[in-house]
Amino acid sequence: MNRSAPRSIDQYLKQLREELAGADSALIQDALYDSEEYLRAEVAAHPDKSESDVLELIASTYGAPDEVADAYRDTEVKVKAAMATPRKVPNSKLGAFFGVFLDPRAYTSLFFMLLCLATGIIYFVFAVVGISLSAGLAVLIVGVPFFLMFVAIGRVVSLAEGRLIEAMTGVRMPRRPVYQESALGFWARIGEMLRDRRTWTTIAYFILMLPIGITYFVIALVGLCVSLAFIALPITAVCAQAGWFGLSGVEVFSNAQPEWLFESGFAIPILGVAGVLLLTSLMHLARGVGKLHAMFAKSMLVARAAPATAHVAASGAALAAQ
Amino acid sequence: MDDSNERKFQKELNGGLVGLVLLAVLAKTDEDLYGYEIAKRLANANDGTSIFKEGTIYPVLRALSAGSLLTSRIVPSYSGPPRRYYRITEQGRSVLAEWKLIWASTRDFVDRFIETEPST
Repeated sequence: MNRSAPRSIDQYLKQLREELAGADSALIQDALYDSEEYLRAEVAAHPDKSESDVLELIASTYGAPDEVADAYRDTEVKVKAAMATPRKVPNSKLGAFFGVFLDPRAYTSLFFMLLCLATGIIYFVFAVVGISLSAGLAVLIVGVPFFLMFVAIGRVVSLAEGRLIEAMTGVRMPRRPVYQESALGFWARIGEMLRDRRTWTTIAYFILMLPIGITYFVIALVGLCVSLAFIALPITAVCAQAGWFGLSGVEVFSNAQPEWLFESGFAIPILGVAGVLLLTSLMHLARGVGKLHAMFAKSMLVARAAPATAHVAASGAALAAQ
Repeated sequence: MDDSNERKFQKELNGGLVGLVLLAVLAKTDEDLYGYEIAKRLANANDGTSIFKEGTIYPVLRALSAGSLLTSRIVPSYSGPPRRYYRITEQGRSVLAEWKLIWASTRDFVDRFIETEPST
């Protein structure tokens, strides 16, 4: 893309954002953050020069926005491939089914499902208290600052939730906060925040996390309890048979249906096998839920690249008109 | 046209070298360094101009950190957003040792062809 060289940090970041349009939204957020760190440090290191003089030389040292954008795109792809631990490709369907026990993501996703109850309650309380207090205080002078503080804290919490999700499911989430255009005035920034779709989807995500968290927790807990109990059954039976402890008087299968199964001696091993199958399915389910949830969180918590570029184009036009 | 060819070749060469150089710089020092500081060290070691664009080191730093070859911590800064300081890990040092060997053998291999080229 041919365009005039950026003359200010804000212009540079805008061009970089345009160059990265279509890339992973989490990557864009990180690239803008890194560039801002460098550019501000470079400007601060040359107090005798103006910002536009420093920016003139940036293309030869730091790189023009299109070069930097390329570097982020390339590195992301290459390093991900190089750093990923080579996964053994299971050579049979059976191997693929039970191979889930070797995948650390399945365990972390299962843990994430259990954790979601706790985080879900916290997010829900945070969002509901924030909204209701903002509404209640709206008539007072503290109402507006309170609401803004609530939204600002919400953004920090959403970044933390993103880090948690990336750690648990391995899906790329932002590692840096959203770059705020500091050139805008105080009121313009507030207006921007209220118009930003992400502000509202973040709050919706916090509220939705309570029912979602309860569902995840119940599925994970019930699945674990039932499958582990089934697996423990044959072990317990063998121990009891060996006389290590007495189960006399305990009718494990009293009134269990169908009778032909539970009257026979096969019931215990069959249930044990069923437990193993159930546990394996639960691991698969957890891994899938982890991936789906990460996609959901990304769509709710991370700004989409497209509207951001539209907004950049609009503000660029406004700058040009001045 | 020549210029873009050179640029392309340099870029392709830099692909893996940036990571090696960054690990080596961080292995040499006891301090934690942040991106801008590392970029300036590289440039100063080469008479003020870096072979690769300084913008390309940030994504590599983050990638190395994600691969737990580096650890990082965030420190607030007066001049802009908080800075991320990096330090090499034990795993990073052992990876660096391996990469050094690979680099040495690659360099020797390439030199063997380039240096025996008959000079006209």
